[in-house]
Amino acid sequence: MISRIRNFSIIAHIDHGKSTLADRLLEFTHTVDKREMREQILDTMELERERGITIKAQAIRMSYKDYILNLIDTPGHVDFSYEVSRSLAACEGALLLVDATQGIEAQTLANAHLAKQNNLVIIPVINKIDLPAAEPERIAEELKNAFGIKEEEIILASAKEGIGVPEILEAIINRIPLPQGKADVPLQALIFDSHYDPFRGVIAYIRIMNGEITPGIKIHLMGTKGSFEVQEVGTLRLGLRPKERLSVGEVGYMIAGIKEVKECRVGDTVTDAKHPAKKALPGYKPIKPMVFCGFYPLAGEDYENLKDAIAKLQLNDAALFFEPESSAALGYGLRCGFLGLLHLEIVQERLEREFNLKIIATAPNVVYKVNLKKEESIFIDNPTRMPKLTEIESIEEPYLRLTIFTPAEHVGAVMDLTTEKRGNFINMEYLDPKRVMMTFEIPLSEIISEYHDQLKSVTRGYASMDYEVMGYRKSDLVKMDILLNQEPVDALSTIVHRDYAHPRGKRLVEKLKEAIPRHQFVIPVQASIGSKVIARENISAIKKNVLQKCYGGDVTRKRKLLEKQKAGKKRMKRVGKVDVPQEAFLAVLRLGK
Amino acid sequence: MTSLYIHIPFCKKKCNYCDFVSYSGKEHLMDEYVNALMHEFESLLSTFDFQLSTIYFGGGTPTLLSPKHFEKILNLPSAFHSLLSTLEISIEANPGTADKAKLKELKKLGINRISIGAQSFNDKHLKTLGRIHNSKDIFRIYDDARSVGLKNINLDLIFALPDQTLNQWKRDLHTAISLEPKHLSAYNLQIEKGTVFHSQKLNLPSEETELKMYEYTIETLTQAGFKHYEISNFARPGFKCQHNINYWKNGNYIGIGAGAHSHVNGKRWSNPSTIEEYLNDAGRKTHDDSHDATDQRETLFMGLRLLEGLPHDNFQGFEKDLAELIESGLLTKENSHIKLTRRGLYLANQVFEKFV
Repeated sequence: MISRIRNFSIIAHIDHGKSTLADRLLEFTHTVDKREMREQILDTMELERERGITIKAQAIRMSYKDYILNLIDTPGHVDFSYEVSRSLAACEGALLLVDATQGIEAQTLANAHLAKQNNLVIIPVINKIDLPAAEPERIAEELKNAFGIKEEEIILASAKEGIGVPEILEAIINRIPLPQGKADVPLQALIFDSHYDPFRGVIAYIRIMNGEITPGIKIHLMGTKGSFEVQEVGTLRLGLRPKERLSVGEVGYMIAGIKEVKECRVGDTVTDAKHPAKKALPGYKPIKPMVFCGFYPLAGEDYENLKDAIAKLQLNDAALFFEPESSAALGYGLRCGFLGLLHLEIVQERLEREFNLKIIATAPNVVYKVNLKKEESIFIDNPTRMPKLTEIESIEEPYLRLTIFTPAEHVGAVMDLTTEKRGNFINMEYLDPKRVMMTFEIPLSEIISEYHDQLKSVTRGYASMDYEVMGYRKSDLVKMDILLNQEPVDALSTIVHRDYAHPRGKRLVEKLKEAIPRHQFVIPVQASIGSKVIARENISAIKKNVLQKCYGGDVTRKRKLLEKQKAGKKRMKRVGKVDVPQEAFLAVLRLGK
Repeated sequence: MTSLYIHIPFCKKKCNYCDFVSYSGKEHLMDEYVNALMHEFESLLSTFDFQLSTIYFGGGTPTLLSPKHFEKILNLPSAFHSLLSTLEISIEANPGTADKAKLKELKKLGINRISIGAQSFNDKHLKTLGRIHNSKDIFRIYDDARSVGLKNINLDLIFALPDQTLNQWKRDLHTAISLEPKHLSAYNLQIEKGTVFHSQKLNLPSEETELKMYEYTIETLTQAGFKHYEISNFARPGFKCQHNINYWKNGNYIGIGAGAHSHVNGKRWSNPSTIEEYLNDAGRKTHDDSHDATDQRETLFMGLRLLEGLPHDNFQGFEKDLAELIESGLLTKENSHIKLTRRGLYLANQVFEKFV
């Protein structure tokens, strides 16, 4: 039985055709009939389809010849690289998909490294060979240079046209090893994803590494220490197919009365509570949010709704962190933690779209490590909680190793942009005469403002980037406060490098001056470090606002005009005596060139 | 008290700033239009039981109608005994559209107040505004009105015109005062959507200059013996415009004619706004979404336009906003009346928006 199982995933840079290839494999193996088929069938969330990215992992079981093929679809973004690595850990092989017109990109490289770390067999596939701009020879050369891949290993394909699909299926059977593991030892199953079902609770996606799992047994989750009773196991087709058992090597699902996904963490090991395994599977890491920001309801009375909505999202998103916080300026809100900026954007968009909430998001920040003079270190996820300057010995911030793939002609622009963002250039390699891989070390805080957009713009969209977290490093950082009408607005405080404080403070007060409408009084806008003001602008007072004439008794028209004027103010947040629109809070983000 | 507004939507030429219901080149429809007006008025008389205390002919350019037209219209209310004895009957008159003979006829028909659309005494500015007359025409119609015995004369002026300086406005204002009218309206130019001005790039005075013009207007007219009784209106003792005061006090009024608005006992409605629609379907009224709550609000923000303000009792339910506005110096309380302060006058919209 186990000799007929092949577990694999597809790794690719965004837009290189992963979802289309998955669609073709499902069609070719008759897993999904034509009637059920639609594009990007594995991307179930509306947002995933719109953005063309996979956010949640998915798995599906196919039958081909006498074989069971389990495709484990991985998330496609650097924010979710831990989830990717766990999905890969559930496989023995991976299709490395590269666009024949683009070549290797940053995520191709990052994911291929993850696959190698997990000892996966890699099947290189050059996709989109039907396109006129396809350069399969050049891409083959890149694959050789970057990964030592031999030309004869490469499959040329067009997922769109169905070219190469049988060859890919044959390669999966012949090149990917059968799962290792023993049937007659204690259960070890790897959780590689989970989702929340309102009727059945958490549905965990698992790969049986050793032993077997059957309904009715008590299980123990070795990382989170939870204990549950298995209600149902089964395999994954387009829906759930219950089975009597899942045995070693198999991929499927488990339902065990688990109420929240955070009790069922990706990477955790499921074992039999009566006959536990001696050791958990390697690689489990508790989730640590990297990026934080405050979410505040535009209307104060929406606070409870916001909390309920986030809690609902969290049921299905173990990486989402939140806790209540209050801001002197914005009132009651939530401090939320995310894996990265994309994760943040997705959550914000879902809150607005699915829960119809109007929120103000404060500028995102990273978690700082503050070494205090009294020989103690604390982690700060909110600039407003930064201790007084006099108490601080030093501040550390998370650094990344940033990898950028770019056409050679943009090397200068990438260099300028990245060093301006405090990046240290480390290395540069030519993949071929036209394409360059550049490596930098850079603070995470610089990446979460507008770096990615700016990188795309200086390279006309051709560069791609990926990063991994290196750890904390000391930086000369200071907290910059913003005062509106002499009162500090905590939600606008940011942590900046001392050398960059002046220009950024100046730019920020200028942006705020543009964003905040005039009031009946002059509003000074100041940026300060400690008690020292480093930049200042004045928003002049509105002196006159009066409708002069009444049009032949048309009072309704007048009322409507006034209502419109009033409604404009309702979309703003009152901070002290000043009405501040959402754009002002975003201004902190838009300080780049 | 009930007022009657009669809209005359005809103009020789539409002015560049005008977004009123007015059309040029439609004079051939005048007879038909006057008949429709009478028809509408008759049907209203059969629905409502009211007595009129003011009548106002507004436009467009009412003085384009012939005395015969006015005779027809003005005979109607008296035929129905709906006129009060102390009646103000006003007409808007554009320089260049009424000669002495016509004014004499109008006076004879009972019209006792004339509002002259002067707008400016600067010929260059009159041209910019798209007016069909020059400053001489203003003096002429003013003298003619005097000479036929019309005593209650208003001059309409507009300030903050394109390219206008503070001194130019001062000159306009002093010229107006020298004519010794009983009433002066001074409006700050506003650029409305759909007007010629809206599509042009204009060199308008700054907000500071506008404010200086307005301040100067208030100071000067007050010193000259005018009572500043509404945001844009000034009158010699005994010559406030009763018709407009009724609007500001949110009283009952009936508007007839294209695009005219009515307000009776808390209900608001309006007529179709093109002449053709009005002629074909004069009975079709559009009812506004008015109810008791909006009516209270309208009473507040319209009433606050009057400098005497409103009795404090009217502000029930708005105590918090009221306290804030008093604290920020935009409103003040005087002898149980709430009224705009001088600063409140300049920022009246900031005040009014609290009451919508």
